Amino acid sequence: MKNIKLHALVLGLIIIAELIGVAKFKVGVGTIVLLPMLYALIMGIFLAPKFLKVVSQKDMGDAASLLGITLMLLMARYGTLVGPTLPKIISAGPALILQEFGNLGTVLLGVPVAMYFGLKRETIGAAHSIAREPNVALIGEKFGLDTAEGRGVMGVYISGTVFGTIFFGVMASMAAAYLPFHPYALAMAAGVGSASMMTAAVGSLSVMYPQMADQLAAFGAASNMLSGLDGLYMSLWIALPMTEKLYKHIYHFKYGEWPQGEDAAK
Amino acid sequence: MNKQNMMETLIILLIVAALSLVSNTLGSKNTFVEAIPGMLILVAIALAGIAMGRYLPGGIPGVAYVVTLGCILTYPGVPGAEFINACMKKVGFVSLCTPILAYAGVAIGKDLDAFAHSGWRIVVLACVIFVGTYFGSAVIAQVILKSMGQI
Repeated sequence: MKNIKLHALVLGLIIIAELIGVAKFKVGVGTIVLLPMLYALIMGIFLAPKFLKVVSQKDMGDAASLLGITLMLLMARYGTLVGPTLPKIISAGPALILQEFGNLGTVLLGVPVAMYFGLKRETIGAAHSIAREPNVALIGEKFGLDTAEGRGVMGVYISGTVFGTIFFGVMASMAAAYLPFHPYALAMAAGVGSASMMTAAVGSLSVMYPQMADQLAAFGAASNMLSGLDGLYMSLWIALPMTEKLYKHIYHFKYGEWPQGEDAAK
Repeated sequence: MNKQNMMETLIILLIVAALSLVSNTLGSKNTFVEAIPGMLILVAIALAGIAMGRYLPGGIPGVAYVVTLGCILTYPGVPGAEFINACMKKVGFVSLCTPILAYAGVAIGKDLDAFAHSGWRIVVLACVIFVGTYFGSAVIAQVILKSMGQI
């Protein structure tokens, strides 16, 4: 906390990152978005002893110990984003509310694939949710972001920030074109807790079904608000315990023993 | 992992708030001064939530209290909600992420080898996770809308 050098360096990173500003590249039906936060992250990594040798082991350790608290400011803002939308969320229909449990599909698909790739505790952070800000904060608080779990959730968070928009745009149009889903169902599914991903998915659906555009936008927005509200609680009470359990059993199946030491739940 | 006491926590929150004001000023149309009230409210919400997570029984992490407090204070009709909402409009969500990821970048330097080792796997995994989340929800929505005769 008293590491002035660290805070001054971070201030420098922020100024450079914000001066570079947001970059957007049109790619086919979607857009790749590069935000200042990404530049700040990458420049921060390059300060490491391995590259520019600007920061010491101690600076890196101090930064890691602060991360959990820095996230709380963002989470306070997050709560204030959700609050004003609550009356609309409460009036949402049963289909909208129940499809939220579909977000647990992440665990069922993500954990086996992660472990097939040979990831161990990274799996818990990476596959328990779609890794938006509340999930990053939750993992940060429970495990710390400088742990294997933290690396997992940060990896998916960064991936989502960079190409999540384009991925959701393409996925929604492919699903609408080739799979037997009603556009309403696809619009409701688009609300995963990220406004940009939801907008991209609903945007491509609206292009395909212009006569339904208003309804699609309303379903997408309502479902996104719901995910914003329940995402954290669902992760904490359902998805995270489910991920731990699935991890344990797949670990046993793959390596022939129950996870121990570093690989075991903390 | 939070070994800081409440005083240290408050100081860290204030440092991060100051840094966030810089990124908010440079990255949005809001001026430095008009974002200050909102930022102070965020510090208060965060501090209260962290304290509740630490001292209330039940083992619920502070982050859950922080989000819930933010929701309640801005719920339409709650006294003061309109004022807080007006303050919040001057504090951009994305600007708040820049300082956090700057710290995260510095911290990641510590585990670079581990990151390089799992990097590409996690990028591929991210795609799988997007598919899982999206179609998990789409299937449930489809089934329920159909069973209720709405589509």
